[in-house]
Amino acid sequence: MSQKAANSHADLAASDLECVERVLAGDVCAFEAIVRRWQGPLINLAWRYCRDRARAEEMAQEAFLRAWRGLSQWRRESSFSTWLFALAANVFRSELKRFPTVDLPLDAAKEPSRAARQFHALATEESAETVRRAVLALPPRYREPVILFYFHEMDVAQAAATMGMPEGTFKARLARGRAQLRGRFPQLASEHAAYGSTSIEPDSVAGVGTGTEVTR
Amino acid sequence: MNRLKTESIRTERAEPHKADLDPALPSALDMALATEEEILPTSGFLASVMDRVQEEAARVVAPTPISFPWKRAIPGILLALAVFGWGGFELTRPVWAALTTLKMPLVTLRASDLQPLESAGWVAGALAISLLCWLFSRTLTRRSGLL
Repeated sequence: MSQKAANSHADLAASDLECVERVLAGDVCAFEAIVRRWQGPLINLAWRYCRDRARAEEMAQEAFLRAWRGLSQWRRESSFSTWLFALAANVFRSELKRFPTVDLPLDAAKEPSRAARQFHALATEESAETVRRAVLALPPRYREPVILFYFHEMDVAQAAATMGMPEGTFKARLARGRAQLRGRFPQLASEHAAYGSTSIEPDSVAGVGTGTEVTR
Repeated sequence: MNRLKTESIRTERAEPHKADLDPALPSALDMALATEEEILPTSGFLASVMDRVQEEAARVVAPTPISFPWKRAIPGILLALAVFGWGGFELTRPVWAALTTLKMPLVTLRASDLQPLESAGWVAGALAISLLCWLFSRTLTRRSGLL
């Protein structure tokens, strides 16, 4: 992480802290800054849990409300973003327990019709979406680590913190989840993304769709 | 990027279930999951969240009155009634005992004294029958539509 990025993240963390302090002091409007800053990441995280846009917004809204109610419980031991993501993951988990998403079993997920020779072939949205939807068909204990691992740009520590479990346990579950996916999509699993020959740069890959860069 | 690779390596090496691919490079599967189109919040999302937060804040300032927990209170109320009832009975027991031992003079009514009461009963019965007849006829008239 560059010095500039580190400073930026420290600024954001300080800003979060300031907003939280103001909210706790009775300034309700200060919460708007928190929502404005974290609405994108939370909706994207919810989207990964349910793959339903309207529901993702509902779940994110519920997560913000829970955050509002429990703001005083943030002990400052972890960063605000870690606390918020952990809280949101809890909310999403219980929401999906109440009303599960309707998904096909993992075996019913189609393998992309043509062998994906390189990442270019996989990059067709249809194939990628098939894989992403297949994640929802994983057993719950493996599904969530997979979702959070990729949401947090493959940062095991942060994803484990979001789930509130030790890294070792998280890695074990993640490995099993990925193994199940590899078993379902053997062609894709054996293909390596050739970064050197593609236009998709790793850094851009890491930043797409999550907005969690601010947490670093 | 390096982190992406190293985490992948770390994850794979930490597990007994080894990947069937070279962990040094993320697979196409990883890339499919890592690259996700960003969902943007709808325009009204922020406002709707803040509306609910404001509602919540207002509720915190002026909490709604909590309804009386009758279900929980009923056993207590019954117990209290029983205790007070028993206490009352214990207090008045000497009075009851005295009343039972009290000998009242036997009152005997003569037949001549009962007669006016008997005729009053007949008058009341006749009035009641008249009232019933009037009510019945009124009901019939209403049903026929004359009234």
